[in-house]
Amino acid sequence: MPITTTRRRLLAGSAAALALPAFARAQGAVKPRLTAISQWSAGSDGAAITALGKKFEEKGGVWQHSPVPGFTTEMMNKLRAQIMAGDPPACSQLKGPEIAAWSKIAPTVDLDAVVAAAGYEKVVAPDLAKLHKPAGKWIALPLQIYSTNMLFLSKRAMDKAKADKIPVTWADFNDLAEKMKAGGVASPIANGGTRPDDGQKFEAALAGISPAAYRAAIMNLDKKALEGPEIKAAFAQVRKIADWMDPNVGAQHFSTNLKRFVDGDMGMMIMGGWAQGVLRNAGFKFEDFTIAPGPSDNGKPVFLLNADAFIFWQRKEADLQAGQTLMAQLVMDPAIQTMYSQITGSIPVRTDVDLSGEGWSEGQRTTSAALKSAIASNQALLSMAHNMAQENGMTAAMIDVITEYVKNKTIKPEQAATRLADAVEGAR
Amino acid sequence: MRDRSFAPSRILIYLVVLLIAAAWLAPLAVVVLNSLRSNEEIAQGSMIGWPQHWAWSNYLTAWSGFCVAETCAGIRPYMLNSALVTTPATIFSTLLGAIAGYAVSLWRFRGDTWIYGIVTLGLFLPQQMRLLPWTIVLRDIGLINTLAGLVLIHTIQGLSFTTLFCRNYYVAIPHELIRAARIDGAGFFRIFWRIILPLSGPILVVTVIWQFTHIWNEFLYGVTFTSGQQQPVTAALIALSAAVADIPQHGVQSAAVIIAALPTLLIYLLGGKYFVRGLTAGAVK
Repeated sequence: MPITTTRRRLLAGSAAALALPAFARAQGAVKPRLTAISQWSAGSDGAAITALGKKFEEKGGVWQHSPVPGFTTEMMNKLRAQIMAGDPPACSQLKGPEIAAWSKIAPTVDLDAVVAAAGYEKVVAPDLAKLHKPAGKWIALPLQIYSTNMLFLSKRAMDKAKADKIPVTWADFNDLAEKMKAGGVASPIANGGTRPDDGQKFEAALAGISPAAYRAAIMNLDKKALEGPEIKAAFAQVRKIADWMDPNVGAQHFSTNLKRFVDGDMGMMIMGGWAQGVLRNAGFKFEDFTIAPGPSDNGKPVFLLNADAFIFWQRKEADLQAGQTLMAQLVMDPAIQTMYSQITGSIPVRTDVDLSGEGWSEGQRTTSAALKSAIASNQALLSMAHNMAQENGMTAAMIDVITEYVKNKTIKPEQAATRLADAVEGAR
Repeated sequence: MRDRSFAPSRILIYLVVLLIAAAWLAPLAVVVLNSLRSNEEIAQGSMIGWPQHWAWSNYLTAWSGFCVAETCAGIRPYMLNSALVTTPATIFSTLLGAIAGYAVSLWRFRGDTWIYGIVTLGLFLPQQMRLLPWTIVLRDIGLINTLAGLVLIHTIQGLSFTTLFCRNYYVAIPHELIRAARIDGAGFFRIFWRIILPLSGPILVVTVIWQFTHIWNEFLYGVTFTSGQQQPVTAALIALSAAVADIPQHGVQSAAVIIAALPTLLIYLLGGKYFVRGLTAGAVK
């Protein structure tokens, strides 16, 4: 197997080398080719990127996708090895502030012309757009969006609490949790025990209490904001949430508890939009739960963004360059984003895609409406728990503090706020 | 003897051993049971439970069905890749380690302990630390993204361990044996083939088991230095478990894990009785 691949590569390489002078004159005649690496290999992620590859081939391109199974670290190792070997992929999956960090390691492609031609900039959330043009030029393109602070309500737990109103503010939320507890719901909050879980609770609390404080403290690491009263209030809210959770979830995936959530043994779940796909794939019905934007004290939806993207690495080969242009056009195409999000359960990056038609779920429509409203009120923020607000090291330092706070109930909110500020200083 | 086996202390010992064994085997039991339950059954019930319908199809999906990105061929091709890396790397590293161990233990030369020390130092270097140096080496010799590159990595890195074990085993062999053979006119390699190798059964079994297990289960280099269809079985297993927007495929995952563990299990079953013997032989001397 290795031999055939190498031979094929060699042949392709030498053919390209031989043909290069001719193509220099007639660029349009080259057959676009794309080498890509991503983590997406299995399940709906794998299905979605495979479908994207098919579209690429339909447009006459050669699709060479190598999935790097595992988590971000593995893919970064692979990417680093390829860059050092002088053979970076034409495009690779990367997201958040890592785009800026990695763009310093190897030269990237200037996508400004393609992006301008597609009129993409005006349909992308401004904070999100910034991440993809770290030095002022577009070098990466976001592909799909998840919200990390959607609120999932169990129908049966709502029945037990004799409640039918979706909570809007944190006060409503706390009120409903109390009612659920009184109505016999064992754990009003459903959750998992993996690393991002606690981070998600905190970011949802802070962003819901004050989007401005979230932007200043978490996204901009403003020292004064980090010591502000909103951080303490957020920690106080997280303590309430922690008291309503089942403590026996160490290291478990949130999906482990879905059955208890649907049965009304657990009541509410603050989770990314992807949970609806998980619920559906686990065989539960849409009637079993309701999806709403996470609590927001000013009444307008707050949207914590998690967006997957592709970064484009400079290549000299004409066919790879043509492939990059084609790929960029496809990623920005509303029809492609529709296809992609309908497979994975995310929402399109473009805010001008109409989600009223078939193929979209109620949850996706709610999420998309929340995003539009949040952008309008400047409340579309970048998720900390999912590495969108800060680089990995900073995120890890913050989550360490939050996780300890969730598990250790003797820590006071004021102490936690000080520790968070210290951790940020230490990781800076 | 009969009386002794029923003594209270004996019973206590067996009880404790049984308890420890049960604790060790419990996760395996969960995996075996889950490999026979459908994903829906697990998702709608609990992680631990008795299969309601025997979902044998999990094994079929795991073996030849599930998709890793564009390729839907199950775990099968990746098992082959792993075998193609593990088999030669195990043989080469064991043989080279035996020769090296033989040289530093029975052919004393100037600086032999230093060389031995430096070779075994490899055992203390974390894998991540060696990742970038290997990237540069593989790039320069043109073996990046090939299975041959992985064979090279595992052969060289395996040397630290195989040399350590073989050397400790050979130290016990009387030097007179070597001297007698040299008087008879045998050279370095003739003595190795004719005298040392026939004595090496237990220690070779140990190193083969150890190397095979480690290389088979290795993930970091496997996923970094191969691409697409050449990836080892560990990469395919992770691919199966790392989907974000899906319910974890516990049933198929469990089946795949069991299939992937079979080769190492087989090696243990075949060589197990030598394993402890060889380990202690190497450790005491």
